[in-house]
Amino acid sequence: MKNSLIWCSFMVLFPGFSQTDTSKVSETFSTINIINGHSAETLKKRQWRYIIAHRFGDIAGAAGGVQTAFGFDNASDIRFGFDFGITDNIMVGISRLKGAGTPYRSIIEGFTKYRFLSQSKDNKMPISAAIVGTVYGTYMPASSDALSVASFPEFVHRFNYATQLSITRKFHPRLSVALMPTYVHRNLVNENDQNGLFSIGGAANIKVTKSIGLIAEYFHNINTSELREDFFNSLSFGLEWITNGHNFTLNFTNARGFGELQYIALNTGDWLEGQFRFGFSITRTFKY
Amino acid sequence: MKIKLTFLLFSIGILYWMMSTSAGSIRPMSNPLTTETALEEALVGLGVQPVIHYMDKFDPELADVGEKLIKEGEANYKDFKGKRISSYFVCTDCHNLVPETNSLTNTSSEDRLDYAIKNGIPFLQGSTLHGLYNRTSFYNGDYYKKYGDLVIGARDTLENAIQLCAEYCASGRPLVDWELDAMMNYFKREELKLTDLSLNEDEINLITNAHNQSNKIKDAAVSTLKDSYKVAFSAHFPGSLAEDKRGYGLKGDAAKGKEIYESSCMYCHGNARVTYLNLDNDVLSASFLWNNKEGYDDKSIYQVIRWGTSPIVGRKQYMPLYTSEKLSDGQLEDLMAYIKLLAKKK
Repeated sequence: MKNSLIWCSFMVLFPGFSQTDTSKVSETFSTINIINGHSAETLKKRQWRYIIAHRFGDIAGAAGGVQTAFGFDNASDIRFGFDFGITDNIMVGISRLKGAGTPYRSIIEGFTKYRFLSQSKDNKMPISAAIVGTVYGTYMPASSDALSVASFPEFVHRFNYATQLSITRKFHPRLSVALMPTYVHRNLVNENDQNGLFSIGGAANIKVTKSIGLIAEYFHNINTSELREDFFNSLSFGLEWITNGHNFTLNFTNARGFGELQYIALNTGDWLEGQFRFGFSITRTFKY
Repeated sequence: MKIKLTFLLFSIGILYWMMSTSAGSIRPMSNPLTTETALEEALVGLGVQPVIHYMDKFDPELADVGEKLIKEGEANYKDFKGKRISSYFVCTDCHNLVPETNSLTNTSSEDRLDYAIKNGIPFLQGSTLHGLYNRTSFYNGDYYKKYGDLVIGARDTLENAIQLCAEYCASGRPLVDWELDAMMNYFKREELKLTDLSLNEDEINLITNAHNQSNKIKDAAVSTLKDSYKVAFSAHFPGSLAEDKRGYGLKGDAAKGKEIYESSCMYCHGNARVTYLNLDNDVLSASFLWNNKEGYDDKSIYQVIRWGTSPIVGRKQYMPLYTSEKLSDGQLEDLMAYIKLLAKKK
C-alpha cells in the first residue's frame, strides 16, 4: 500500500504534458503491455480500451501433452480489464484476474501509469520512460491452512504491490527495445520467501510489417533468495497483429499468471519441464 | 392640424426607426467606409440584401466561447456546463481558421498546398472557416451525394450547416442554443474586413467613397467587392481513379507528395492524433500504403482519398474524403510518388 501511495503522489506532483505532436517518436511498442511487462506507451486523453487476455495450461510436461490438448483444456489465468487515458501521459487501469492459484485466485489489479519522458525524433530525448504503480488485492476465501499465505491473518495480507519503470527506445522503425526494472512487494510471504523482490526485464519488438511484429521478453529476478528455488524467471515470445483499433497478441510463456505479482514473484513454470503455454490478448481502443 | 402633423411626423419617425433596426433590413451607412469596415457591413451599406444569418449584435464573450468550442470541442458559458460535441473530432481537425491562399478568390489546390507549406498550416479536406460568415452557400455540389436531403436545409443557412457538421460530419451531437450562438458570434468576430480582400488602391477608393455616390457607382463598388471573395466553394467527388489510369508513383512529383504527406496525412495520422491508424514518415508506414495501393478497398490511397471511410455503429471515427477542389488528381499522384520513394520501391 505504501509503495502505491508513493507512486500516486509522484504522479500527482508531475502532471502530464501534451504528447500528440509529431516531433515525438510514436508506437515504440504497439500497445500498453509488451507481453507481461509494461511498455512506455499510454492511452491518450479520452481514450479507453478493454482487454481480454488468456493463458492456457502447460503445453508439455506432466500437466500438458495430448491429454490436455496441449494446454487448451486448462486456463491458468484470465484477464478482463478496462484502461482509461486521463491525459496523454497519465492512465489508469483496472482488471480482474482469475489468478493462477499459486497461491492467489480472484485478484483485482489496479494500476496508474505516468509517462514522463518521450523519445524525440531529433534524438534530443533518446528514450521514452514511464513509471507504473500497481496494487493487487484478492477477494478469495481465506485458506484454513494457517501456513498458507492465502490464510490472510490480517486484511492487509490480501494486498501486494509492484512498481515498474519502463524505459524504451525505438532504434529503427523495425526495432524497439525496452528495459523494465521492477520491484514487487508482498505483504505476507512464506518463511522461506522474501517480501521484496527486484527484477530486471528486457524486451525487443521486431516489426515485420507495419501490422505484424515479433516480440521477445525476459524478466530476471536479481536478488532471489536461494530459498526461492521453486520459482523461475519468466521468458516469453509473442507475435502481435495490429489493426485499426484492435491489437492481438499471441504468445508462448512460462508465466502462468498475469501481473508482476504472478509473473515475477510467483512464477513456477519451467520451460525446460515443458511448463510453458500458449496465450493471447485482445485489446480494443475507443474514445469517450 | 398642428397636433395631426406632429402625430404624422412621430409615426414616420417610429416607422423609420423600426425599419432601420430590424434584423435583415437594409440600412444606410452611418459612417464612411474604411479598410477596417466589415465586408458585410459595407455591402449592406451599399444596398445589398444582407446574408440570412446577418447579426446586428455581437457578444465578444460568446465569441470567445465559440472559439473554444471550435478549437477544443467543448466549453462552458456562464451557468451552462458544456459537454463535448464530438468524441472524435474538433472543427480544426478538418478546417483551418485562417486564409488558405494569398487571394480569397483563389481555390487552386496547388496554391493551397504552397500556401500551407509556406505558412505552416495543415492542408485539409474541409474549406477554411476564415470568412465563413460572409458565405451564402454551404455543402455545395456533390455533398448531396454524401449527406442526401440533410444538405437541403443546410445549403443556404449557416446555422443549419453548423448543426449538420456537428452531428454528422463530426459524428457528434447537435449544438444547444448557446453553443450555436457562441459559434455564430465567433464567425461574426472573424468575418471578412475590407482589408482582407486583395483590393488595389483604385478599388479601395471606389468602395470607400461609393456610399454617397450614384447607384451606378454603388453597383460598381458592390461588384468589385463580390469579385474579391468567394460566397461558396465548389465540391466535386470524382470517385476513385480507375486502376488502369493510376500512375502508381510514376506520374507524380515526390517532393510535392512529401509536402502533402506531412501537412495532410500526418496531421491526423501522425502519432495517431485523430485516428487509431498511426502513420509515420518511415518505411513501414509507406510500405503499408504502397502494398495496398491497388483495388478499391479503403486501404488504397486512391480509394480512401476520394471516398474517405464511413462511420459505423460503435465506431464513428472515420476519414472524410478529399474533393477534387481540395486535392487534385495530380496531387494524388504526387502523394503516391512520395509513398513509393519512402517505401523504397523501384
